[in-house]
Amino acid sequence: MTLLEVDHLTKHFGGLVAVDDLSFSVDEGEIVGLIGPNGSGKTTVFNCIMSTYIASEGEIRFDGEDVTSEKTHEVVNHGLSRVSQESNPINLLSVGGNIKLFTLPNSFLACALPDAVLARRSDGGPGVVDHAERVGLEDKIEETPDSLPHADVRRLEIAKALATDPDMLLLDEPFAGMNQAEIRTLSEQIEQFREDGISLVVVDHNMRGLMQLVDRVVVISSGQKLAEGPPEEIVENQDVQDAYLAGEHGGI
Amino acid sequence: MSSESPSVRVTRRMKGTLRSALLPVWNVLCMLLAPLDRALQPIANVYNRTLGGHFGEMNGLQFAVISLGFAAIATVPFWSPFYSETLNITFAVASIWAIFAMSWDIQSGYTGYISFGHSVLSGAAGYTIGLLILHYDPSMGPATTIPVAVLASLVLGLVIAVPSLRLRGPYFSLITLVGVLLFTNLIFAFSGWTNGELGIHQVDPFTYEPWVRYYYMAIPMLLVALGLIYISRSNVGMVLVTIRENERAVSSAGLDPTKFKISSFVLSSIPMGIGGALLVYYGRAINPTSFVEISNSIEIIAIAVIGGMGSVVGPLFGSFLFFFLEEEFLRDVIGDSSLRTLVLWLFVLSVLVFARNGVFRVIWHGLGAVRGDSE
Amino acid sequence: MLSGLPAVLINAALISALYALIAIGFTMIFGVGGVLNLAHGALLMAGAYVYLLLARDTISVPVFESMTLHPLLAFPLAVVIVAVLSYLLYAVIVQFVEDNPVVTFLATIVVALAATEVVLHYAGSATHTYTLIPDGMLPSTIDIGPVDGILTVDVVGFVVSWISIGLLWVYVTKTDSGRAIRATSMTERGAQLTGVNVHAVRARTWLVAGALAGIGGVFLGASTSATPNMWLHPLSLAFIIVVIGGIGSIKGSIVAAYLIGFLQTGVGEYLGQNFRGILSLVLLVIVLFVLPQGLFGREFDHE
Repeated sequence: MTLLEVDHLTKHFGGLVAVDDLSFSVDEGEIVGLIGPNGSGKTTVFNCIMSTYIASEGEIRFDGEDVTSEKTHEVVNHGLSRVSQESNPINLLSVGGNIKLFTLPNSFLACALPDAVLARRSDGGPGVVDHAERVGLEDKIEETPDSLPHADVRRLEIAKALATDPDMLLLDEPFAGMNQAEIRTLSEQIEQFREDGISLVVVDHNMRGLMQLVDRVVVISSGQKLAEGPPEEIVENQDVQDAYLAGEHGGI
Repeated sequence: MSSESPSVRVTRRMKGTLRSALLPVWNVLCMLLAPLDRALQPIANVYNRTLGGHFGEMNGLQFAVISLGFAAIATVPFWSPFYSETLNITFAVASIWAIFAMSWDIQSGYTGYISFGHSVLSGAAGYTIGLLILHYDPSMGPATTIPVAVLASLVLGLVIAVPSLRLRGPYFSLITLVGVLLFTNLIFAFSGWTNGELGIHQVDPFTYEPWVRYYYMAIPMLLVALGLIYISRSNVGMVLVTIRENERAVSSAGLDPTKFKISSFVLSSIPMGIGGALLVYYGRAINPTSFVEISNSIEIIAIAVIGGMGSVVGPLFGSFLFFFLEEEFLRDVIGDSSLRTLVLWLFVLSVLVFARNGVFRVIWHGLGAVRGDSE
Repeated sequence: MLSGLPAVLINAALISALYALIAIGFTMIFGVGGVLNLAHGALLMAGAYVYLLLARDTISVPVFESMTLHPLLAFPLAVVIVAVLSYLLYAVIVQFVEDNPVVTFLATIVVALAATEVVLHYAGSATHTYTLIPDGMLPSTIDIGPVDGILTVDVVGFVVSWISIGLLWVYVTKTDSGRAIRATSMTERGAQLTGVNVHAVRARTWLVAGALAGIGGVFLGASTSATPNMWLHPLSLAFIIVVIGGIGSIKGSIVAAYLIGFLQTGVGEYLGQNFRGILSLVLLVIVLFVLPQGLFGREFDHE
């Protein structure tokens, strides 16, 4: 069943066309990789989906509904959550506080209720500690983000996105700045998310990290879709190779 | 290349030197107070276990200070005559302004969307009462007028908040500033109805008994304090503070920042209306000078800031401090009224420059740090 | 006598120049430092009262006992004093808090309120009127075209305002120190990178804005009167004009000043003095919602 449909998405900034007539879709239970050289428009696609930017043309549908012109919080409440390339922790709150914020319902009155009442209302669903455990941060709940190492801040970002109880997660360069061991751990966690029922779109500019993880790859270059298919095919694809070599970073 | 001027850099260095020079004094204080803190902690923990989750946890010293503070406020008519005859009245007025300052704080201090025209909300309540009594039915009692007045504040709050809180912070602030100027102008423009500068004087007070009058002001104030402190410590407070620190994160969390901003403004209008109504019945009059004019809005903000904005409790104590200084301490020291007000504003200015987080907050953090890392 | 359309038009044209002068000082400070100087109106008030101090013996202050200097001497002296006061406001208070817009906003308006108390203390709450132009020099009213009885002081104010605006324009376009101000107002980072001393520029801007406020204040006081609360109205006018014209834009301030000047004079004449402020404020609200960056301005972003 198709969960996310990006339909002829175009985004321009004045004279610059960042995304050009891009279409792709993601089915339930899939992990799709969105790859391309730096500056090809991958983050812009995510920004349009999450309504950080307003699409110039095209439609975005999630779970059958048109979310193109919805505000960010409305998109999130449909079940789409995103982990950005740059971390954006709330430094005033603890790790636990950061995660808790993302579990809150979009209602002033509900937020005024004491936590005990709120927990009863949500039928004992996963709490802050549970979300922290999913990414391995359960020991650091009282700490503030500015005292955490980089990898933990990235984990916090993922925990926050998970806390909104998404059906689909958009991960933008999740492996950036990580060593081999960390990449392996994260890949396993991502697979676990899929087993928990979350579909994923993972952006990266490097195929190597994604090969084992994704079911399908969409390649974007200069804002346009260049190729689409299973990872093994894409790696062999000549056009894709050229795009990467023509760009600054050699080789896939 | 920093964009600070040499004088700013020098002053900062001086502050640092001063701080290191005072460190031994601080250490002695900690040594003396730490045992007291430890002794009081068990009592504080009883509070922490029961109400701490809803109102915020405290250590022994903080608990003592808060308890003493609230106990003092609750018993003013009993101990104030030992200081001066007028302290009762001063603190009655301070209670009303504490309501204003706390209301302002839960909205502006927490969300960071600073309202410069909050006095229109109390003014709306006040003028509703005045107009009802003057033009509709002079025998109307507070039981009827006050609910109507608070409703008026709430409606005005909605009218201001819904369009304006879609704008970015500085534009919102400008709109509120324009709001108060517009309101003031309208009062003068429609002098036929509002009696312009002179205001409406036909209001009967609650009571002429000074200490009963005090409780008419202090009890609502304490109830408002309870309600707003609870809200500030709840998840709502967390959302509002995040709007101030990182509004994008709020959207990413699936929460509508505009909805929360509007709700906090509307929430804030209710106690503003209550305070406005109390002020009318306290002063037996409503006029633009004491209610609406911009200096009132500025006073509210000044009180909240010197107490410590973004804490609700800070503005409460800030109000008592401000009025104590204005009506009691400075009155004893300086005879001339305008010189006194000048010194008061200079005090506010120095708090802004030297302790912009607020007097109460500085004290609170100090008390919290007494036992420091030696836990 | 103020009667008929030509009179309204002429008076509007005259007063708009003064409004422009007042707005330009305000917008310069905002453009260069991102500071909304709510003490700007107080500086205007200072202009009027300092002139009174120097040129009339109605008020006295320790050290400055009753002086009665000739207007041609008192006027420039008053302007210089107000410029210095403005510089001191920046150097002693604002530069220590300008990193926090809320605190700066509060600090400047508290200064304005404190200034009111100072004025109340030394000059009382009475209204002080004064004539700027001695009877001997020029007649007190002038006839322009079909309109009789235009106050000379208003015409002189108009002329002096435009001369000041002209001099300012030359300063910011032709001199290095003036161009540094413009550069900093356009892009602080860029100015820094080209070697501009940003804090010196800021200090200079406050000095210049103070001078403009001083000029405006003396004429405002002469045209209407000097009272301890006279700072609020020009201040609200200043930011109405500045927001409509576009923050940081001198050209915008001038255009918007004329717009507001005509609007206010017209409304005052045909709807009554009490409604003057209301229409301008309503216009401001509309502009804030529909065109927040104003006619000629940049966005209200100061990162």
